[in-house]
Amino acid sequence: MIASEATRISAGEATAPREMVLRFEQVSIRLGGREILTPTTLEVARGEFICVIGPSGCGKTTLLRAAAGFVAPSAGAVLRGGQRVSGPSREVAFVFQDYGRALLPWRTVHGNVALALEAAGVPSGQRGPRIDAVLATVGLTQHAHKFPAQLSGGMQQRVQIARCLAQQPELLMMDEPFGALDAMTRESLQDELARLVTDRGLTVLFVTHDLEEALYLGDRVVALRANPGPQRPSLARVIDVGIARPRNQLASKEDPEFLRLRRELYGYLGPAHG
Amino acid sequence: MKRLDAGEAAAAAGLLAAIVALWWLASHQQWVSKVFLPTPEAAWASLIDGLAGGDLGGFTLATVGRMLVGWLCASVLGIALGALIGSSAAARAWLLPTLEFIRPLPASALLPLAIALFGLSPVMVLAVVSFGAMWPVLLNTVHGFATVHPRLGEVARGLQIPPGAFAVKFGLPNALPDILAGMRLALTVALIVTVVGEMIASQAGLGHAILLAARSFRAADLFAGVLLLGLIGLVSNSLLAAAEHRLLRWQRP
Amino acid sequence: MVELAPPHARHAVIPRWVARLRPWAVPALLLVVLEWYARTIASQSDAIAPPSAALLAFARAASDGSLATATAFTLRAAALGLVVGALLAVPLGLLLGLSRRAAASSFLTVELLRPIPSVALIPIAMLVFGFGLRMELAIVAFATFWPLLVLTQSAVRQLEPQLLEVAAALQLSPRKRTLSIVLPAIMPRLFVALRQGVAIALVVSVTVEIGANPNGMGYALMLSQQSLDPAGILAWLAWIGVLGFAINALALRLQRALARRMGESAP
Repeated sequence: MIASEATRISAGEATAPREMVLRFEQVSIRLGGREILTPTTLEVARGEFICVIGPSGCGKTTLLRAAAGFVAPSAGAVLRGGQRVSGPSREVAFVFQDYGRALLPWRTVHGNVALALEAAGVPSGQRGPRIDAVLATVGLTQHAHKFPAQLSGGMQQRVQIARCLAQQPELLMMDEPFGALDAMTRESLQDELARLVTDRGLTVLFVTHDLEEALYLGDRVVALRANPGPQRPSLARVIDVGIARPRNQLASKEDPEFLRLRRELYGYLGPAHG
Repeated sequence: MKRLDAGEAAAAAGLLAAIVALWWLASHQQWVSKVFLPTPEAAWASLIDGLAGGDLGGFTLATVGRMLVGWLCASVLGIALGALIGSSAAARAWLLPTLEFIRPLPASALLPLAIALFGLSPVMVLAVVSFGAMWPVLLNTVHGFATVHPRLGEVARGLQIPPGAFAVKFGLPNALPDILAGMRLALTVALIVTVVGEMIASQAGLGHAILLAARSFRAADLFAGVLLLGLIGLVSNSLLAAAEHRLLRWQRP
Repeated sequence: MVELAPPHARHAVIPRWVARLRPWAVPALLLVVLEWYARTIASQSDAIAPPSAALLAFARAASDGSLATATAFTLRAAALGLVVGALLAVPLGLLLGLSRRAAASSFLTVELLRPIPSVALIPIAMLVFGFGLRMELAIVAFATFWPLLVLTQSAVRQLEPQLLEVAAALQLSPRKRTLSIVLPAIMPRLFVALRQGVAIALVVSVTVEIGANPNGMGYALMLSQQSLDPAGILAWLAWIGVLGFAINALALRLQRALARRMGESAP
């Protein structure tokens, strides 16, 4: 067990002040005439794995996109490393839900990952080893010369993750990345993700509609409300997930704390809750 | 293209042979006058003699050369302009209606204007071939660049890829199927305009040769020339289709 | 189809009247520039004429009947040629689509004859028919025959297999099966093919007239050049362009309306 993992057991027990890598300061977002997100304040520490849940329309994807710089807040500011986020940056990698549409169909797996390095201006001589390394991390070494259309959904999503890792980002944004996959693929990808996030010390913002997934993966879970109003802000609950790491698909999900949190947050997934 | 089995291949060859046989009968039995319909042997002989010792080889090269040069110019221009216009929503909004208006215009209709401008010269034919063949390539390129999926656009933004690199890495490959289809159409247009141009401008080539053959009632030479033109169409199209097949491997996993 | 400009575009909202007039902006600008250029720098040219002169030439042709005669000839040749081409291609296409043996046998012949450029047949048609309507009609028929054949055949091949199974289950005669099931089912795709045929027919007609046939709009265009009448060149060129655009647009509307009525969305 790596030493750093011991410190992630409960954020509430941290003794040293942690570096805030991402901060939402009273961020509200209007889209299409509707206020999707009421003024929301949230801080994300370095190395944290934050899961965002909520019913459809609650703005969780919008929150993620604002963090990545794809959407500008109507009020308030998103700060990364103390600087205001004004647009997308290579420091923030984004994993889209529709992996099929996020990969270049005319490039092989190798070529798709290479895109990140090309964009970063890495000299072509240095690209090969780095691509191989990242493909090894996601277990796609044998498939390096296949085209996306030849791969299963889970493998395509891994290619996208590999490309994001190749960016060597500070932050990893993930928008329901495993939503379109079958249960078994989802579970193995969850474990792979947890492992590589820990290995690299990545900070992750993970949107999902699956409560169990959120509790399984996250250090903290943020629950958002749909149709927020003056008395009911978008941010409904933030809870710490005090379940030991490394987590296990069977054991962790039978942990009493897991079950308790699950019961507590269950209501926040429904369309109308307090 | 599915593979034919032996039986089907035999039937295909059989049908072709039957048609040639019918041709042979019709010409020898004078069902159609020899003025219009030469015998197969006469047409074949004219073809061989013309290619071996006569001018047919030179004419063919001239026609093919004109067609290819015009087509290449048209493709390069069409892709370059199409990429520029297709990459800009504003350019598309202002220019597409005008471009779409020109699409149905027969390229050959520009020959009279070109004659007025350049006279009866090789340059004139080449100019019209290039201009006429450019439109399918240009329009298809615009479409290909314009239809890059929004998600890919976001991927590019996330990686902070500048517009030039975006056009090359995203726009061009995305447009390639459309561009190749446009280039195939352009090849057909190029051949047609080359032939018509040769006919009306009396430029040495197959178009002019078959016109002269018709006027002198040399049916065998006429048919030989027409067969060669068909062959040019067949070969050029097949080559381009093969290239398309190779370049678009990723579409057929 | 989802459209997108590359990442750096701003999406501005424009007023309705701008959107309405925008398609005409570039043509209007080009006409103005041409008018100025033709009247100044190219005023002695045999090739360039100002649009205003072209308009006059057009009005003259309209009033003395030559416009109507030429247009009618071209349209008639194109229409008749398309009808002949379709009447030959559609039944043959149905046959080739329904019978795999027929399709396999004919494949070689079709692929060898199809690439012959229709204009290459001009001298042959000249020999057989002389000049006039029949010569042009024959070439248009040849030109439209092949695409219509291929498209009809592929439309039949793309039929839902269940439809043919229904025909077999009901023990329909081949004639009844074709008329009652196959033909109605392929109608939408047939309309698309016919629309493309219209475009081809028009282009081929004009091309034949430019190349050889002393009749119709293409010939009028050639005549203008030979008489060193640049206004006439521009007038006929513009008229051919406008007519072609209008007919194609009309054919597209018709195709879409008919497809909608038959309950299928056509490309």
